Amino acid sequence: MFSAITAGRRGSGLGFALPAVLLLFAFFVVPVAALLTRSVTEPELGLQNYAVLVGSSTYARIFFNTFFVSGVVTLITVLIAFPVAWALAIMPSRWASIIFAIILLSMWTNLLARTYAWMVLLQQTGLINRSLMALGLIDAPLQLTNNLVGVTIGMVYIMLPFMILPLMGVIKKIDPAILQAAALCGATKAQALRRVLIPLAGPGIASGALMVFVMSLGYYVTPSLLGGTANMMLAELIAQQVQSLVNWGMGGAAAFLLLVVTLGLYAVQLRFFDAKEAR
Amino acid sequence: MKKTLIALAFASALTSAAQAQDMVFTSWGGTTQDAQAAHWAAPFTAKGGPAVVQDGPTDYGKIKAMVEAGAVTWDVVDAEYDWALQAGAQGLLEPLDFSVIDKTKLDPRFVSDFAVGSFYYSFVLGWNPANFADAQPATLADLFDTAKFPGKRTFYKWSAPGVIEAALLADGVAPEALYPLDLDRAFAKLDTIKADIIWWEGGAQSQQLLASGEAPIGFFWNGRLSALQADGMPVGISWDQNITAADALVVPKGAKNKDAAMKLIAEATSAEGQAAFAAATGYAPVNLGSAALMDPAVRATLPDAQTAVQVNADMAYWAQHRDEIGNRWYAWQAQ
Repeated sequence: MFSAITAGRRGSGLGFALPAVLLLFAFFVVPVAALLTRSVTEPELGLQNYAVLVGSSTYARIFFNTFFVSGVVTLITVLIAFPVAWALAIMPSRWASIIFAIILLSMWTNLLARTYAWMVLLQQTGLINRSLMALGLIDAPLQLTNNLVGVTIGMVYIMLPFMILPLMGVIKKIDPAILQAAALCGATKAQALRRVLIPLAGPGIASGALMVFVMSLGYYVTPSLLGGTANMMLAELIAQQVQSLVNWGMGGAAAFLLLVVTLGLYAVQLRFFDAKEAR
Repeated sequence: MKKTLIALAFASALTSAAQAQDMVFTSWGGTTQDAQAAHWAAPFTAKGGPAVVQDGPTDYGKIKAMVEAGAVTWDVVDAEYDWALQAGAQGLLEPLDFSVIDKTKLDPRFVSDFAVGSFYYSFVLGWNPANFADAQPATLADLFDTAKFPGKRTFYKWSAPGVIEAALLADGVAPEALYPLDLDRAFAKLDTIKADIIWWEGGAQSQQLLASGEAPIGFFWNGRLSALQADGMPVGISWDQNITAADALVVPKGAKNKDAAMKLIAEATSAEGQAAFAAATGYAPVNLGSAALMDPAVRATLPDAQTAVQVNADMAYWAQHRDEIGNRWYAWQAQ
């Protein structure tokens, strides 16, 4: 009887998931397989596209840029998001919900519009440079766009909600009494943060960081508008190859390598957490 | 059974929707496509042609994918002329029907089996006069002279006719000796200003960079500078060695409304269609009969009034070497 119920449940669960599975299969698995096929068949059968990607110093640099920019963005996002999430978790709920709404609103605004807004703010004659000059803090405008600074600012801003949301979930579950206990046992605030709060929030930090890192790896709009070609990332290379040079083989190879790296990171993350929970 | 019926109903609804939407014109968006819709598509429909749905932006990867999959949803596409020549040779385009399109009136520079000019434009030196108090730039050599004219300069990001030619001309190559392009020399010249280059990806961005002073000098599509001037912004333009390139109208292989597509191209390249589009955009007409229909004051601002100081980018050369130049271009950018 009991097993019949669970069996029935399992079956209906699969049924409910079926539309999503079909959708993913038709619009994700099939195109990715087609792309992979093209990457080893165009312009001729073989691994020549991958050989070029791996062998050229230009592409090596683009791979390095992709990981470097994503890493910097992830690190800064964590550093900014943690205090925000913490404040949101302990704030009176009315205030928290207002701030939360602001964060969500920014997430729902069109990505391109937000990136253009940053362009206007950061450019030489933009609000930030003019204010700093009016205050006498700088004499000449700072170069804030078309370089690593611009990409980092633009991307951190876009990624923040994806870090704050998982962090908030984890921090909210931490019993405030634990921190009181730490204080009672003589821990300073810094010690409580370092030895109690951060380890407890660890899973939230890790999953948020992974999400931000992986999303950053494939980002196109923001790096292309706020960064210069010196920090070119992989998604831009794919766009060039497919849109401008109509080289689906090379574009496909680059896209597939990006996918493999992403899946690899995800596997590492799963391992890491399984091991932790087993302990 | 029920599922099949629903699927059938769905499929037939889709087909009838496709029939109802008639034909699709694809271009690059912005004010250029607005003008194409207003001066080409609207008169075409008014004269009894099918309604024209506007789509975009033009995407060569997409066209290739559509043609290969046999599911072509674009009927007429505005593309770069050098790409059009290459794509025609690769079998991605329908041959044009010159019994419908009257090529005798078209500028012979922009007529080929698979593509006719959509409009032609010039890359010109432009600058923001507010940033150069003393001397104003005048030549392509000035564009590459960061000592005399300091500041960031902006150039078209994608591999296309224009910037490489400008680098060679600025380096002293004579216009008639440009081709075959000396890429080593061009990139060496570009290397001298690489740290000061900001790339623009689309027309609107180029205007924004110049107007804000982010890049006080650069190499622009002439129509975008005219538009800034029309908005009342002081912009310096030098036509000295302006480099022409063209857009093309093409029909992807297997387009569903091939016959209507030929008729739309005939309308777009008519003297009236070209004249109205040129007046709206600041780009030059490819129909030789358009000039007579236009206000002389407007004509004076177009590239076809600047032929004396004009350098023609060699579209056939580019069509042949597009991939080779492109690969080198992007690798150089990323270095």
